[in-house]
Amino acid sequence: MSATLIAQVAIGGLLMGLVYAVVAAGLTLIFGLMDVVNFAHGALLMVAMYATLLIHRATGLDPLVQLPLVALLLFGAGVVIYRGLIARTLSVRVNAGMVQIFVTFGLSIFLVGAAEFLFGSDFQSINASFLGGRSLAFGAIILPWPLVASGIVALLVFLGLFLLSRTEFGHALEATREDHEAVALIGIDRDRVFGIGWGIGTASVGIAGVMLANFYYIAPDVGTNFALIAYVTVALGGFGSIFGALIAGLIIGLVEALTALFIDPALKQIGIFLIYLAVLMIRPRGLFGHL
Amino acid sequence: MTGVRRRQLLAGAAAIGVGTGFARRARAAEEIKIGAVFPLSGNAAAIGQDAKHALETMADIINGDHDIPMLLGKGGGLSGLAGARVRLLFADSQNNPQIARSAAERFITEDRVVAVIGSYTSATAVTISQICNRYQVPYISADNSSPSLNKQGLDWFFRPSPTDIDFTKAMFDGFAAFGEKTGEKVRSIAIIHENSVFGSDSAKLQASLADAAGIKVLANISYQANIPSLAVEAERLRAADADVLMPSSYTSDAILLVRAMHDVGYTPRAIMAQDAGFIDPAFIAAVGPLAEGVMSRSAFAIDAVKERPAIPAVNRLFRASGANKDLNDLTARELTALQVLADALDRAKSTNNLALREALRATDIQGDQTIMPWAGVKFDATGQNMKGNPVILQQQKGEWRAVFPFEIATAPPIWHIAR
Repeated sequence: MSATLIAQVAIGGLLMGLVYAVVAAGLTLIFGLMDVVNFAHGALLMVAMYATLLIHRATGLDPLVQLPLVALLLFGAGVVIYRGLIARTLSVRVNAGMVQIFVTFGLSIFLVGAAEFLFGSDFQSINASFLGGRSLAFGAIILPWPLVASGIVALLVFLGLFLLSRTEFGHALEATREDHEAVALIGIDRDRVFGIGWGIGTASVGIAGVMLANFYYIAPDVGTNFALIAYVTVALGGFGSIFGALIAGLIIGLVEALTALFIDPALKQIGIFLIYLAVLMIRPRGLFGHL
Repeated sequence: MTGVRRRQLLAGAAAIGVGTGFARRARAAEEIKIGAVFPLSGNAAAIGQDAKHALETMADIINGDHDIPMLLGKGGGLSGLAGARVRLLFADSQNNPQIARSAAERFITEDRVVAVIGSYTSATAVTISQICNRYQVPYISADNSSPSLNKQGLDWFFRPSPTDIDFTKAMFDGFAAFGEKTGEKVRSIAIIHENSVFGSDSAKLQASLADAAGIKVLANISYQANIPSLAVEAERLRAADADVLMPSSYTSDAILLVRAMHDVGYTPRAIMAQDAGFIDPAFIAAVGPLAEGVMSRSAFAIDAVKERPAIPAVNRLFRASGANKDLNDLTARELTALQVLADALDRAKSTNNLALREALRATDIQGDQTIMPWAGVKFDATGQNMKGNPVILQQQKGEWRAVFPFEIATAPPIWHIAR
């Protein structure tokens, strides 16, 4: 096995890991903020992919150009989901956790069903995009541009989330997370902060969806493939830790690729789960979890 | 007066009684319920929805008054059952073997269907066929191709279409014939397959047939279906660089694989697919020009209209049923499965399960009475059709053309595997 092959596979794995990380970022942000596991996260990824597809078909806009548009759309969707569904569950006194799980789970089933109804269950894809089909060659190492661009955009999302945490709003997020009743006393509107938190979380998954639409197929069920990995990424990185999601995503991408190369492609998810179990045994809160 | 009245009354009551009795019998004969279990949602939903259109098209051909040159293509209803019509009930397996089993069981115990048709993936066919066997209801395997299915020792299993053994043999026969014709012989293959029943069985067969033909297997890669990336698999295939790539994948993975190979700059010299995802119109639409030259085994050749004159009319009805696409290998097999079942019901002249099984066992349909390129339909002791010979199709300028066997081929193969 040549060194270039190993390098190629490793770099490809890390790039895919960045995609996993950015999908997980939104999930962990929402969890960190209000202890709600959003089971509709995969479905929201799917919504972003269909939005990209539809806008592309209607206007011919390249997915890359659509990035801010779809991110904004998904931000809006996140705020609406919070205001319309999640905010109501926060006042539930009995079994609030269960209610939240069922609400987001139900939302997921609704969104997937709606997509099946509206767009049919056929696999669709964007065939003519600026990045589609182009490759970047470093000697013998060939990297597909859509994946490289996804990695770069993912890093920018993480940079943005990091900078956001330094702003006044970031402090308000942090404070609300710590104690949302106390912050009310100093005039911070809990619902406003949570709503924007949901917006940012779904906008991140929206950005992942746009980048995936460049090279991945689009179907009502597509979110499932990524959602499972996103949950593992969040747990491995530590619930609520954005930085943890980034590192965990990279680890998962790399382990997955190397397992497939050195052991057996059929076992690549086993590699991920082995690492996950090992981390949970040694450090149950995940790599960078607070708890 | 009163006597007459009473008599009239009695006669009237009797008439009503007879009337209702007759009506009930007529209604029972009017509608014959058949259960169809397919993945109507989930990762194979597109296939399941197409299957629904295919079965509905055949039901319409049987029930309605058409003039199509094939078995049951003329007149309405089943004449053997006093013009009875077939009624399809659909259940969603979600492509999950457990859900498929309970759906089939509900059909049998609650809806009292006379037979069950299914089910796309072989993994779901295992559970459905076993539950049907337990309740002694025929299972018509429309589009499951795993060879192990008719070797479960079931008495109620019937499969009109060829199995992966027949299909895979046809591929290697094709290799030999293409090699003879062009002088470019296959020396090596690379196998890639998803790791459930369908892919594993298919790969095992391909490896053993390659071995028998003296062809080297340079890679044999198994992967889990519906994973986010097949990039590493594509790398390994590029490294193997075999004469022919032989994939067994469902649609989503077929799209990913072909794109991933393109991304790493690998163009296989020839692709010979085990049907499934590669024959799905969604695959062709998604990968566009990358599908050019892809070959697949098939049980159906849409361009064989000279030998099978019913194809254009049936295809028109299928398109109009809401499918909005041409018949393909899967939908043609699903449609034909219902035709075979309906023919047995017609000959059984009864919906009794034992009579129906006897009729199925006695099935003997000539190939030209169907839309399939087969010699015919006649079941062996395991319920497998002995006369279902497959064809090899190739994507040429965006169309599927039959390229093998040469007798029914509609275009010469594009075959450039020499280094």
